Amino acid sequence: MIAHEETFRQLMIKAQGGDKLCYASLLAECEKWLRRYYARKINPAAIDDLVQETLISVHRKRASYDPERPFLPWLAAIGRYRWIDSLRKIYRHEHDQLYEEMVADPQDEDVTAKVSLERLLGMIPARQAEVISLVKIEGLSIIEAAAKTGQSESLVKVNIHRGLKKMSALIESE
Amino acid sequence: MSISANSLIEGLVEELEPVRTLKPKSGLAIVGGLTLFALIVVAATLGVRNDLMMGMADEMFFLRSGVLLMLGIATAITVVNMARPGVGKLSRGWIWALITAALFPLTAAIMSAINMPPVEALRPMEGLKCLAVSGIAALTIGGGLTYWLRQGAPTSPERAGWLIGIASGALGAAAYNIHCPFNDIYYIGLWFTIPVVISAVLGRLVVPALIRW
Repeated sequence: MIAHEETFRQLMIKAQGGDKLCYASLLAECEKWLRRYYARKINPAAIDDLVQETLISVHRKRASYDPERPFLPWLAAIGRYRWIDSLRKIYRHEHDQLYEEMVADPQDEDVTAKVSLERLLGMIPARQAEVISLVKIEGLSIIEAAAKTGQSESLVKVNIHRGLKKMSALIESE
Repeated sequence: MSISANSLIEGLVEELEPVRTLKPKSGLAIVGGLTLFALIVVAATLGVRNDLMMGMADEMFFLRSGVLLMLGIATAITVVNMARPGVGKLSRGWIWALITAALFPLTAAIMSAINMPPVEALRPMEGLKCLAVSGIAALTIGGGLTYWLRQGAPTSPERAGWLIGIASGALGAAAYNIHCPFNDIYYIGLWFTIPVVISAVLGRLVVPALIRW
């Protein structure tokens, strides 16, 4: 089970004050939350690295959390930023099997839906979202994605570039 | 949890130090301080415009000051808030200030289309001086804003670059504004717009690389 919003917030406030015990719990909970958050949104082989990079960002940027605001939208903004950054870096991976979607904690469903990565993908034009999913998440090559979508190879590249750019401008959108 | 994630967490916990949370008002204090500094330097080196010194400033001076300050403050507030990210926090209020500020160049363009002003009305030499002084002031203010944002976690570096450019350009021009003696719409529409536009483009080109994390 993953902690609630208020638990996250209280742990983070203590962590900002230097409480190592609370910080250890917070990072462990963040690790679980992020693992679920990124499930099926990136090549499975890249999830471990992405979660760890995000935890390092949480650590480096912990002063940017405002204790008077909810914690999960802050974590999600950091998570989205790292996700788009990693999509920019990823090309093809040898793994093609996706993780099974992890069982969601019903208490967190609202927050997760609101800040989800699907939502971000849904905010860009469908043709851009489609090629980003195929190439960056499922690991198809540009040629394969072009064949599957009927777009030319150069259009696939342009749509990936434009889509990532657009998503990065939308990180803090609802 | 994987072994590597576990050891990463142990390492991060080990190096935990208490932190002071970022406060937007400190960012605004930096911007306000630098703008005031630029204003004092302009007043001390170039002087304050005569009508203002005599307490009878032209109405155009107040309109111009108000619009530049409004644009600078609205964009600067957005920038300092970008240091603390959060889904659902996207702020678009600055767009209205930008639209309002665009009324000056727009009016000048319409007036020029109706009745083309002579080149002298554009005062190229004075205009270049306006551009240079506003630009130096903008660089100072933009440097402060960029320094502030580097401490935070801005998630849209390109937008932040535009906004830092607009904010510092507008506030830099506002600082020069207390010296500038010209009140006609052609001059203001041209020479108070160019510094903001150049500063915005420079901000977009230079700032993102400095604030990525």
